Amino acid sequence: MSYMIALAGNPNCGKTSLFNELTGSRQRVGNWPGVTVDKKEGTYKKDKEIEILDLPGTYSLSPYSAEEIIARNYLVKEKPDAVINIVDGTSLERNLYLTLQILETGIPTVIALNMMDEVEDRGDEIHIEKLSRAFGVPVIPIVARNGRGIWELMEKAAETAREKRAPMKLPVFDKKLQETIDQVKALLEAEGEPDSGWKAVKLLEHDENVREQMKEDLKNQAGKLTAKRYGQEADLEAEIADQRYQYITKAVKDAVTKHSAGCVETKSDKLDKLFTNRILALPVFAVIMYLLFACTNSENFLFLGIPSPGIWLAGVVESLWGGLTGLAERALAGASPWIYSLVIDGIMGGLGSVLGFIPLVLVLYILISFLEDCGYMARIAFVLDRIFRRFGLSGRSFIPLLQGFGCSVPAVMATRTLESEKDRKITAILAGFMPCGAKLPIFALFASTLFADNNQTLVTYSLYVLSIVMAVLVSLLLNKFVFREGTSNFIMELPQYRIPTLKSVLIHGWEKVKGFAVKAGTVIFVSTVLIWFLSGFNLNSFNGKNAAENEDGSIMCGMNDSFMASVGNVIAPVFRPLGFGEWRPAVGVITGWIAKENVVVTFAQLYQEDVTEAYLEEYFSQYSPKELEELGFEGGVYNAEAAGDIYSENILFEGSDENALPHMRDDIQTKAAAYAYMVFNLLCMPCFAAVGAMKRELKTWKETGRAVAVQMAAAYTAALLVNMVGGLFL
Amino acid sequence: MADVIVLVIVGLCLAGSIIYTVRNKKRGGSACGCGCSGCSGSACCGKRESDS
Repeated sequence: MSYMIALAGNPNCGKTSLFNELTGSRQRVGNWPGVTVDKKEGTYKKDKEIEILDLPGTYSLSPYSAEEIIARNYLVKEKPDAVINIVDGTSLERNLYLTLQILETGIPTVIALNMMDEVEDRGDEIHIEKLSRAFGVPVIPIVARNGRGIWELMEKAAETAREKRAPMKLPVFDKKLQETIDQVKALLEAEGEPDSGWKAVKLLEHDENVREQMKEDLKNQAGKLTAKRYGQEADLEAEIADQRYQYITKAVKDAVTKHSAGCVETKSDKLDKLFTNRILALPVFAVIMYLLFACTNSENFLFLGIPSPGIWLAGVVESLWGGLTGLAERALAGASPWIYSLVIDGIMGGLGSVLGFIPLVLVLYILISFLEDCGYMARIAFVLDRIFRRFGLSGRSFIPLLQGFGCSVPAVMATRTLESEKDRKITAILAGFMPCGAKLPIFALFASTLFADNNQTLVTYSLYVLSIVMAVLVSLLLNKFVFREGTSNFIMELPQYRIPTLKSVLIHGWEKVKGFAVKAGTVIFVSTVLIWFLSGFNLNSFNGKNAAENEDGSIMCGMNDSFMASVGNVIAPVFRPLGFGEWRPAVGVITGWIAKENVVVTFAQLYQEDVTEAYLEEYFSQYSPKELEELGFEGGVYNAEAAGDIYSENILFEGSDENALPHMRDDIQTKAAAYAYMVFNLLCMPCFAAVGAMKRELKTWKETGRAVAVQMAAAYTAALLVNMVGGLFL
Repeated sequence: MADVIVLVIVGLCLAGSIIYTVRNKKRGGSACGCGCSGCSGSACCGKRESDS
């Protein structure tokens, strides 16, 4: 027989860490409240009969936000065989409030007392037996992050589920209140309502969800009963909460021996003096983010004259891919020109252009994960609340936006954690502005080729800053002209600073690389073949005209006569005011909507004629044998097979060839236009997968269409301004 | 002959990519690889996680 065990608890109490340990899954964990926004299932790795469900965090069973409703509905309506209620041992009073409410539902429950390592570090002592007696259920101390105590916990939870051991009734309420609850319960029972005990309490608490499902007659009778005992103006919701807290306070007082003085300044308090300082917080954030990009994308890492770890790793990947391409070239020696072009220019060139940027994404994502997991990013949400509030947005919106630095899809999904509909709609639009991992290759490509003589770190960094500035400005405009409701309050529990485990950071990095690899092998692979076909063929390829005209009998055509050029030339004029009104960059924008990495794939394929064998031979002819050897040519002898890679790594991306990429420079003539191109790709409609996520969150295509229209208008306006104003200086 | 072999290999790879994407989408996963695996399954696609 199989059992379902649900993990429930307050936000950021370690549910997902425990879920991952128990099931072997690699769900996203983070040191902030609200990382999990939907329920997730897994199978217990030591007993396949046990299914485990990770629920979003909730402070109580009177839910306010969408993900809290998911948790409450599951517990109340679907009823698992047992609940493991994870309680943060460092904040017992607050966490146990939910515990009492879970116990009221009558579901067999086990309390997992998490973060015991931090409790011990503080020198506090929790008497497990006393706590267990006070709440009438087993209490197991654990440390979810390193797995301490979790097997014992699962044994107890499985036993509780098997024996259907319902929690005992606790003397939480005083006699008068308990009698009122019992009377309402009797009323509900008479009407045949299931879960009458729990519903009676909720009815007295004026819980909207429960009241909506009740007959008017029942609600009136319950109201009369309450008024008779407590008077017309009675606020029983407050009374019930008060009595629950009194019970918890007494239980905690009996069970916890505090050796730490209550007002001693903790390490987190000391760090917060700097990281949440009214004046210093933002400059410190700016410096930290700059260092992040210096580690990711800089040829001159921290002015040490060496490439950053991201760039160094990218070089390694490019060399490996170059070797693979060389092998493919040799294998295709006897193939037709168009087959050779398909494999080498299309697939190897296209995929290689994206794979080369994986290390940059990996390094950036690992560093951002570190900042998230250590608790710093939650502080930034708190600090930015002051600024966001002035522009009509709550600091809570920063959390989804931050997720957008990784991928727009989870960012849009995370908007459901926002309580106000206005915030949800605005943040779903703004999430598309965030520079997701797929946009980083675009910035890195442009920074290394068209801004090679500038500070490349600064170029990339400025786009990340711009994304936040645009989010704030667009939010202001939407608040002024579209949504005129007030701003919702932002209450967020600041987590303790914790050093993330190496395992957790590496898992984040691995998942990102895996995602990129899956994408490269699926959507990007198909796109490379499609882009290659559309940019190398036209109608004459299939009626014999091209074969007759080409000396080598190839059926391919010149790029300017291709299908893609025909389509690109139609849409290109739209982008002319932005400085990139030629068909190639215009097509790049369109292919980017399938997946943003496609912009780089498109550029790699459409501008490959800038780096022909003849060009490379002529370029390297200016070097002496000694210089050629230094560049990497074996024995100082020019080698056409190695020339492409050596040129990309040592010349092109170093900015050493002033005449490099002539067609690209013709199409995007100024740095202002190049920057405008990056800005447009940063802010315009995200990929189709993200638009699908927007549709799920905004519910209708009409709303989604409006959101995309706002994104496109913002992108066009910003790029236009960059090209016009920047053109005066760049 | 070399052309045919290469075309068959590329065709098989393309078919494999498309089938994988469609199947993944049908299972409730993301159509593009991102979302599900790219962000450690941040619940964006409701993909049912099984143990590894």
